Amino acid sequence: MLTADQQLINEDAMSRNRMVRRLGVIGLWLNPVFSYFFLWAPILVLVLFSFNQSRSVASFTGFTLRWYGNILNNVMGAESAFSTELMLNAFRNSLFVGTVATAISTVLGTMIALSMARGKYKGKRLLDALLFFPVVIPEITQAISLAIFFKVVFDWLALISGERIFPGFHTIIAAHVTFNISFVAIVVRARLADMNPQLEEAANDLGANPWQTFWLVTFPLILPGVISGALLAFTLSLDDFVITFFTSGVGTTTLPVFVYGLLKLTVTPEVNAISTIMMVLSTFFIGISLTIQGRAVARA
Amino acid sequence: MSTTDVELSDIVKEFESGGTIVRAVDQVSVQIADGEFFALLGPSGCGKTTTLRLIAGFEQPTAGRILIRGRAMEGIPAYHRPVNTVFQDYALFPHLTVEQNVMFGLQMEGLGKKEARKRAEEALEMVRLPGVAKRKPHQLSGGQQQRVALARALVKQPAVLLLDEPLGALDLKLRKNMQYELKALQRDVGITFIYVTHDQEEAITMADRIAVMNEGKMLQVGKPEEIYERPGTRFVADFIGETNFIPATLLDRDSAGRGMVQLPTGDVIPALLSDALQAASGDVTLALRPERIGIFDQLTSGDFQQGDMTTLDAVLVDSQYIGTDTRYTLRIAEDTNLVARMQNVDGQDKAALAIGQAVKISWHRSSATVLDH
Repeated sequence: MLTADQQLINEDAMSRNRMVRRLGVIGLWLNPVFSYFFLWAPILVLVLFSFNQSRSVASFTGFTLRWYGNILNNVMGAESAFSTELMLNAFRNSLFVGTVATAISTVLGTMIALSMARGKYKGKRLLDALLFFPVVIPEITQAISLAIFFKVVFDWLALISGERIFPGFHTIIAAHVTFNISFVAIVVRARLADMNPQLEEAANDLGANPWQTFWLVTFPLILPGVISGALLAFTLSLDDFVITFFTSGVGTTTLPVFVYGLLKLTVTPEVNAISTIMMVLSTFFIGISLTIQGRAVARA
Repeated sequence: MSTTDVELSDIVKEFESGGTIVRAVDQVSVQIADGEFFALLGPSGCGKTTTLRLIAGFEQPTAGRILIRGRAMEGIPAYHRPVNTVFQDYALFPHLTVEQNVMFGLQMEGLGKKEARKRAEEALEMVRLPGVAKRKPHQLSGGQQQRVALARALVKQPAVLLLDEPLGALDLKLRKNMQYELKALQRDVGITFIYVTHDQEEAITMADRIAVMNEGKMLQVGKPEEIYERPGTRFVADFIGETNFIPATLLDRDSAGRGMVQLPTGDVIPALLSDALQAASGDVTLALRPERIGIFDQLTSGDFQQGDMTTLDAVLVDSQYIGTDTRYTLRIAEDTNLVARMQNVDGQDKAALAIGQAVKISWHRSSATVLDH
């Protein structure tokens, strides 16, 4: 039995414990609230002001779709630099670069992933580490290195053939492929790692040669990874500014570069509207990519 | 069972891991007859699965020759070998239906879709799994998946079916049922089965012959009763069933495979020599199965001390009821205990044996096998 004093001390300690636990619960609740606020607040501000009636970002005066209408109707306040025609042209350029770069990087990235997962050769670990390089090095470094690389190569080619190649879609696409390959390879490799390697042996065992085994067993099973890698690559390509900016030539303005050009003048609500549309598009592609990956994982 | 279906001669398989060379299969030679149910038995890492993979063609031997139906398999890839495999985790293609899984191998042979479908249906019936053709593998239970894997391999009518612990993932009861079914199926189709397992009971109940493997070596090959009754080495005796090992001294051996050994008790008793025994005299091990030892009351002992029976004095140290049997621990000398097992039958006077009681134990002279120390 406890004495009255001991009981009192116990109750005191218990109420203190309760308080500490309460604080912990509140803290745990506040943590994600703040984290998500910092994550999302700037984007929310952008989206919100793309619907703002007032031209200024000082206050929200009411809802309007005017700015969205403006960008489609060739109007953009006082700015003469803007034309819907130019914007749509930039968008087309983006789609073109994105599609070609995605196609090339998906094929190459998938091949690298297969080689990493199935190949038996020396130096695989080094190659593995190098694969992550484009993902971790600063974008600006990669951009400058590519710009210099193209210049050196073109100078050299000019010396040999006497004909000068100028930067253009081919340089942008080549640059996009360099960073996209890594992303595709990483996504596809994750899918391959989940795949039971005995399935390929089983196909072999049942009489399928390596070619048949790849197309009838391996490829259908990694297809979700390939598609989601491609969508990821497409989105990255569509969004890229820094690398594109450093490797583009004349008449190859992509949408992000175009928006940057508008920003040189001033941040207008129209820019907000374009940015919002771009964000929605990117989110859409990434969403599909993640859904495909999630489904594939759930099924495996 | 006259012709040889699979022949391994001096097979060696080495792997490199972390700079050192590991010998997974070490000088294995064996001949497996047409239509035989042959079990490769051993603990994990003993090389049994590697041996199977060498036959399947997933691995190439470092040295030695593999012949299947008299044809050398060197340089022949897995997809051209007349063997099929049932994988441990079934390895069913998850993106194909059950029917498409079973048809896969036939279509690789160039068989038309219609004919392949018909044969797949027959194969699924043979493994008693009709009506699931259109389902995906993940919609089936483990036991059903196992049957699909079996049908997928058997439909190819291979010369040899390789099975890599096919029942390992099933629960005990299902495993028992599948053991009988597999055995019956093998008898029906008459295909040579090479069956990898670490479960000695499974090997004993199903196989025509068993090869016991350890550390890459094939220690003993023989019929289940030979392996059980006449183990060649201490490892085999220990791995298959329960065995008493008694340190002993070999005093004398004759050319007929019999010998006299001295036990720690001082008694000199007759025993059979294992075929693999190397020692001519000196320190050896006497192996004795627990169920071959009889326990008798002192008073009636006289009746059993006759003929080919060996009789010793012992003290009952412990008894343990385990359902079908009772397990007795008996002391025959300081530091030397034996385990005996006796079946529990009605009418037995269990009260007659009390812990601490002096008893007589006895066994037939051929129950004791002399092994190398």
